[in-house]
Amino acid sequence: MHDRHGRTHTESKYSLARSAPHLALMENGGEAAKWRFGAANPALEAAGRHNIRSLVHDLYDCLDRTDSRSVVPLGHGDPSVFACFRTAAAAEEAVVATALSGKHNNYARAAGVEEARSAVAEYLSRDLPYEVTADDVVITAGCNHAIEVMMAVLAAPGANVLLPRPGFPMYESRAALCGLEFRHFDLLPDKGWEVDLHGVEAVADESTVAMVIVNPNNPCGCVYSYDHLAKIAETARKLGILVISDEVYDHCVFGSKPFVPMGVFGAIAPVVTMGGISKRWMVPGWRLGWIAATDPNGILRDKKIIESAIGYRAISVDPATFIQGALPQIIANTEQTFFENAMNVLREAAEICYQKLKEIECVTCPHKPEGSMFVMVKLDLSCLDGIHDDVDFCSKVASEESVLICPGSGLGMKDWLRITFAVDPPLLEDGLERVKSFCKRHGKPRR
Amino acid sequence: MENGGEATKWRFGAANPALEAAGRQSIRSIVSGLFDSLDKSDPRPVAPLGHGDPSAFACFRTAPAAEDAIATAALSGKHNCYSRAAGVEEARSAVAAHLSRELPYDVTAGDVVITAGCNHAIEIMMAVLAAPGANVLLPRPGYPLYESRAALCGLEFRHFDLLPDKAWEVDLDGVEALADENTVAMVIVNPNNPCGCVYSYHHLAKIAETARKLGILVISDEVYDHCAFGSKPFVPMGVFGEIAPVVTMGGISKRWMVPGWRLGWIVATDPCGVLREKKVIQSVIDYRAISVDPVTFVQGALPQIIANTDKAFFENAMDVMRKTAEICYQKLMDIECITCPHKPDGSMFVMVKLDLSSLDGIHDDVDFCSKLAREESVVICPGIGLGMKDWLRITFAVDPSLLEDGLERVKSFCKRHGKTKEVN
Repeated sequence: MHDRHGRTHTESKYSLARSAPHLALMENGGEAAKWRFGAANPALEAAGRHNIRSLVHDLYDCLDRTDSRSVVPLGHGDPSVFACFRTAAAAEEAVVATALSGKHNNYARAAGVEEARSAVAEYLSRDLPYEVTADDVVITAGCNHAIEVMMAVLAAPGANVLLPRPGFPMYESRAALCGLEFRHFDLLPDKGWEVDLHGVEAVADESTVAMVIVNPNNPCGCVYSYDHLAKIAETARKLGILVISDEVYDHCVFGSKPFVPMGVFGAIAPVVTMGGISKRWMVPGWRLGWIAATDPNGILRDKKIIESAIGYRAISVDPATFIQGALPQIIANTEQTFFENAMNVLREAAEICYQKLKEIECVTCPHKPEGSMFVMVKLDLSCLDGIHDDVDFCSKVASEESVLICPGSGLGMKDWLRITFAVDPPLLEDGLERVKSFCKRHGKPRR
Repeated sequence: MENGGEATKWRFGAANPALEAAGRQSIRSIVSGLFDSLDKSDPRPVAPLGHGDPSAFACFRTAPAAEDAIATAALSGKHNCYSRAAGVEEARSAVAAHLSRELPYDVTAGDVVITAGCNHAIEIMMAVLAAPGANVLLPRPGYPLYESRAALCGLEFRHFDLLPDKAWEVDLDGVEALADENTVAMVIVNPNNPCGCVYSYHHLAKIAETARKLGILVISDEVYDHCAFGSKPFVPMGVFGEIAPVVTMGGISKRWMVPGWRLGWIVATDPCGVLREKKVIQSVIDYRAISVDPVTFVQGALPQIIANTDKAFFENAMDVMRKTAEICYQKLMDIECITCPHKPDGSMFVMVKLDLSSLDGIHDDVDFCSKLAREESVVICPGIGLGMKDWLRITFAVDPSLLEDGLERVKSFCKRHGKTKEVN
């Protein structure tokens, strides 16, 4: 190792010895220093095993750098890099205005900037049969942060939470990190990926505190009906648990089913609604989300859930103050046409994705996506040669075709694949064509 | 189904004891509690001397070059995406170059992890070090987020003292007495919050030697890097990285006066590569992968923030800080029940001792601060929150005339509550 003057390690040590002789005596004296740090934190290791970011990142490492074709990133949901999904100019202007105002360079309060809390309360109240107030809202640094906060708040000794499978592995990571037990219930591919409510009842016990639903759904791309959400609420009530409704994809619906906020059923069972601007405004890099008590009976307040969330936020990361400050304008100034256009592109992309997947024999799509940015498809390994599971499939597709897809094993469903269609349509088409030729090339020869 | 026969028995709501333990230490709760006891009918401006955030004052406005860099990055459309766990590459390189300027070796991008502020860096390091049975050594008085985050992840912490009679230097004998074979790290804060001191080259060298003797790493919290306006220059602990491995933490919050932008870093300043062998940086990146990301366009703007901010901006900011530290020190000397053992020469704070025996009806530092808030609309942080009962932490990173006004009110508060002198 050379230091900044081009000297070797030994030479620079010698010069340290010349300038500070008393220190030289300490340098690698007789014995090497025995360093006592470095043992792993087992909770962090357990949490890391569910790390979707590394899973997809490792696939990037499989890419063939000599392939001149563009990389087609169908493995993670981030449309912000594509011009067709650029965020609203009004949102960018709002953020720049607050950044330049000099009024939002300060630390914010733990629950968030007041105007941001009020803006979110008003935004959510529009679609609910009751009013949410600013006090019911805690601003977080994105919906991922909301997940972190809720898992910590619920981690009482012996408690468990029920998580969907397939799911979003940040829940498992953060639960593992704070020692909160989690159990899985299934989403049923033959029933539009609805929650297996019998399974929920079977897996719950007296230590179960909450169940998580994601609607519109990542990874399945489904949108739950009013009826189904009502049944979920009734089940939660029966079990005495709260519902965490992850609505980061709120309003990202482009099929026949409308988005219904779970908070509509907040009088049946208390609902903690989580959301953010990352998906609807296509700005995951801005890190702005929220936790809201959508609970007209005030049970979450009685049980101090929001207070605990604020307590956690007081010792946790803050969202950038100026982005919080811009939130009222971001919400107020973004026109409906922006959202309509974004949904039109997503609808088109979802259609392309679904049609092309139908052309690929070894892939089955049980449910045409109608919301969020993803679809789950089943891989039929029996018609492929020399590909032993979903991870192998994804590694080879990455290295041979420069297409990235997320293996279902990372989400709790081995031999399934999660594909995002929130990609520039021509690139999406190209990528799926390459997946089709990959499957042909690796197909078992017909007898 | 609505409120049928029996009321539903809700099973959630039991507290997370680790979270409760962690929350008790929260400086934010202490200070916001004091803000809540202000008298709203008092027409005088509140003098916020309880927490370090000068960004609200015009004299401490950040550099226009920094704001421009953010605006450019936000409008480019190129930084609306998720960033990678270790951070945006250009940001990592910029921090590496920035730190290397002051070190006798080069730090590379691979040694850097970008965090959402230095508070986030603290969170990450406590989690990374929380092996079963391990303990860390923290300074007292200190910055209670260390205790909070350690408590939250079940990491034992022990306190060593900073010595008021020795310019708040680390009690190194105390460090050695406290450490055992499970001690993994010691934390130093330099320039120091809450004491306002700047450690000498010599003292930092001794800290490194002690760490080496104990086989532990040094976490050097340098969020106030270069915020030194007295006679002692800022020396990065990384200079001694060959003696003991140093994890340097820092950010732009203090030097650029933008705590609301949430941009910091964790850097392995460790030319012998011990941190790399022991996978400390890898664990940091693994934690970041499941933790909050700093805003991507703030990361994207970082190279320009660093490159385009003129020296003049920093010089001016330090001039104002030097002036306010002087005002603060002089006015404190005027208040009988308060003793300041060390004139502040860095960071944004000073620790002062309260002589309760010369006050009437004030039983401790918390009581002093509550009454002061209510009666004089001045907010000061009670030392108990930082580990030193009956001491006070005062910030001078405040507009000079408001600071002067605030301290004048503290003086009259102390006079008003002073014990009447007996006449013999």
